[in-house]
Amino acid sequence: MLTRLAGGRVIDPANGRDAVGDIFIRDGRIIDEPAGSAADETYNVSKKIVMAGAIDVHSHIAGNNETMGRLLLPEQRYPSDVFHPGHYPQPRGAWNTSETGCIYAAMGFTTVVEPAVLPHQALQAHLELADIPIIDKATLTVLGNDDFLLNLLHRGEGADAIRDYVAWTLATSRGLGIKVINAGGAAAFKDNLRMFSLDDEVPAYGISSRAIVKALQKAVQELQLPHPLHVHCNNLGIAGNVETALATIAAAEGLPLHLAHLQFYGYGKEGPRGFSSGGARLAEAVNAAKSVTVDVGQVMFGQTITISCDVLRQFNARNGARPKKWMICDGDSNGVGIVPYHYRVNDFFNAVQWAVGLELFLLTNDPWRVFFTTDHPNGAPFTAYPDILALLMDRNLRAEWMSRLPQEAIAVTTLASIRREYTLTDVAIMTRAAPAKLLGLKDRGHLGAGALADVAVYEPDSDKAKMFREAALVFKGGQLIVRDGSLLHYPFGRALNAHPARERAIERRMRDYYEERYGLSPDFMTVADAAIGRPDPFETIPCLN
Amino acid sequence: MAEAWIRGKAVALDAAIAEVVNLLSASRLPVIAGLGTDVAGVRAAIKLAQRVGGVIDHMHSEVLLRDLDVMREAGMMVTTPNEVRLRADFLLLVGPGLIEAWPALPDRLFAKRRIVWLCPGAAAKSANAYRNIAVVGDDPFDLPVMLAALRARCAGSPVANAPVALAAIDALVAELKKARFGVAVWSAAQYDSLTVEMLCGLVKDLNEGTRFSGLPLAAADNAPAVQQVTGWMTGFPLRTGFGRGLPEHDPWRFEASRLIDSGEADCVLWISAYGARLPTWKRDPPLVAITANPDTLRADVTIAVGRPGVDHNAVEHLAATATLTTVSAGKPSTAVSVASALGKITAALPESQPC
Repeated sequence: MLTRLAGGRVIDPANGRDAVGDIFIRDGRIIDEPAGSAADETYNVSKKIVMAGAIDVHSHIAGNNETMGRLLLPEQRYPSDVFHPGHYPQPRGAWNTSETGCIYAAMGFTTVVEPAVLPHQALQAHLELADIPIIDKATLTVLGNDDFLLNLLHRGEGADAIRDYVAWTLATSRGLGIKVINAGGAAAFKDNLRMFSLDDEVPAYGISSRAIVKALQKAVQELQLPHPLHVHCNNLGIAGNVETALATIAAAEGLPLHLAHLQFYGYGKEGPRGFSSGGARLAEAVNAAKSVTVDVGQVMFGQTITISCDVLRQFNARNGARPKKWMICDGDSNGVGIVPYHYRVNDFFNAVQWAVGLELFLLTNDPWRVFFTTDHPNGAPFTAYPDILALLMDRNLRAEWMSRLPQEAIAVTTLASIRREYTLTDVAIMTRAAPAKLLGLKDRGHLGAGALADVAVYEPDSDKAKMFREAALVFKGGQLIVRDGSLLHYPFGRALNAHPARERAIERRMRDYYEERYGLSPDFMTVADAAIGRPDPFETIPCLN
Repeated sequence: MAEAWIRGKAVALDAAIAEVVNLLSASRLPVIAGLGTDVAGVRAAIKLAQRVGGVIDHMHSEVLLRDLDVMREAGMMVTTPNEVRLRADFLLLVGPGLIEAWPALPDRLFAKRRIVWLCPGAAAKSANAYRNIAVVGDDPFDLPVMLAALRARCAGSPVANAPVALAAIDALVAELKKARFGVAVWSAAQYDSLTVEMLCGLVKDLNEGTRFSGLPLAAADNAPAVQQVTGWMTGFPLRTGFGRGLPEHDPWRFEASRLIDSGEADCVLWISAYGARLPTWKRDPPLVAITANPDTLRADVTIAVGRPGVDHNAVEHLAATATLTTVSAGKPSTAVSVASALGKITAALPESQPC
């Protein structure tokens, strides 16, 4: 069947296209205009904006940790009223897998990365992802606090062993890439350290955080994984931590490195409260470090819950919990800390955090290297995305928000002086073209021939938040899923993963290690296709070259 | 062998499914109870409950809710069995019933560390079998006071009427504080949530100085996995109802036995693939038993199902790692699974009106 989207403004930065024109879809893919064949169905999208489906590089949407959060804070909801017609008996706004997929789809997102899967818990993460409708997903496998890797480093074993181990773990957990979360920090916390920086050593292993990051960066590079090492730095959330982020950017040493939710590291110690924005300095460093990519982790005001494998940071944040309850799990490697939090408009610190995120968006100059996230749910639920896009696109709206925030907070940031407004092209790069490139997804994030027909069509509106909250049309793999923000169908997508080559000897070695250390076969970690409960649940993304 | 019965008479599976559909169609508030099943079975049960506007509950919700109440009222610090094995230098075993809750506990975690068993009660015999285990206190009835005394002494407060000599309490507090990575092991099957809360409070307090964590032992019949699946699919734990088209959670309102005893529930689907017996209730609404143990055929419809991990592959909670894992069928058979039986029922339901 041939589908034609006729006469929209097609914004497709990956292919250098920004013009009124048509998009043709056949068999789930975008094709060039076919000569001589009439479309079987035509959607008139004149005066509308046509973009590829959006891609989220960092959103905690699945896994044991999120579900523990659901159990800890059952009162939490998605602030959403996506309309579900028919007899799909789902609530509006419940914090569950069905709503996650439906709300993402209604906004025009078609691929989302769950960025923190602990290898031992990978099966649950993939089961949860499989219950999220519509969108495709991928996971990042968390390493860097695991006993095996820290022992390899402690013993000074070579890069080959680390590379094989990384490849084995990635394949076992069915991940697309590797993430490191406060490298060594969770392990150090088990030895009762309460602070842990880039050059501090994990006591039991005598290995610095920097050494762990560099070893993993190298392994990811040598394995030619489609996504660079994804780093959650040390010292998240504390005054003066901009120095840690700057040191980590420098530690990239010209090689690819992705720094997650940079906003949470954008804090100086200036000003009357000893807490100020380091956003401008950080943006300058990002602009200069061309091999580094970042996502922002924007804070928005309201009730949310912070869920992080940075156990040390979460323990230190426990007394700020709103409401006052929290959970810490010292896990097999990283573990998790869950601390509910309410970002308040009248809170000095929260207002600075909000401004730092916007500074990072607006003072960085390359939308190909700066990604759009709230670190869902840590900075805000992803349902806040439309409001953030509106703030980026409209300086008057920012001024209006700033007028309602503590002025002493705005004064320790540069936000009031920033005039930049994001264009639709900037948005299309940041949420489509650039994420596809960053994740190595060649057939996504663009509308050229051969691309997957994941397409979002928006009705232009002076209220940008409204425009992006409810897409006019969303196609997933060529199937019309959303019309005017309402869901029409609930197909299930797949999880994208990578399968780098590795030496077979690692299998034997891991078997011996698990037997000796845990008295178990590592088979308990296996994520088999048949266990997922849906046909064809995975798609393999090729490694680079 | 027969696999399905209607009022005690063997029938084909399809006939049994058709009768279940009749019972559900006539029902205004069906309850899916028991829920002893694998991940695929829970997923199917939730989809069915959504379709028929029913309620889901697990036979061990009471136990799950004791830990959960503490977690969602105050929070807690926990760790994993693997981490205990790897790292813990001190174990505090709390009360009786631990080995019953996890028979592999001694094998997995008793070696290579100092252990104190608090108020073991009938478990004293087990405790005495290990030379590295010291016993403090005796009667499990004393546990709440014992834990309160420990917590008070830990904070330097005076206590009166402690169940054992103050010197013994203080000596234990000194040991707890000296531990480098201590872990308290408990089973909520044995005591109420206030006791769990006191223990979790003690663990939190100890972390002001050293590292200490908790290891809650899992309830039976795959309860932790059922709770996780319910959590991600609905946003809530068990005792959740779909009567108003959206999931609502209420530990009192959606308790299966209360709904049945009070007459609010007018149809019961009892699911038990791990062998738990069909309970009796004060009332007798239409009853469907989907069970691996069809020894009584007193239900209106009985469907015999295979055992997860025995007759068919299954995803289940694994006590040794406290994670979900795939268990391959030990003795593969053609017995129908819970997921398959529930799937057939859902597929056979008449199309409902859009709500």
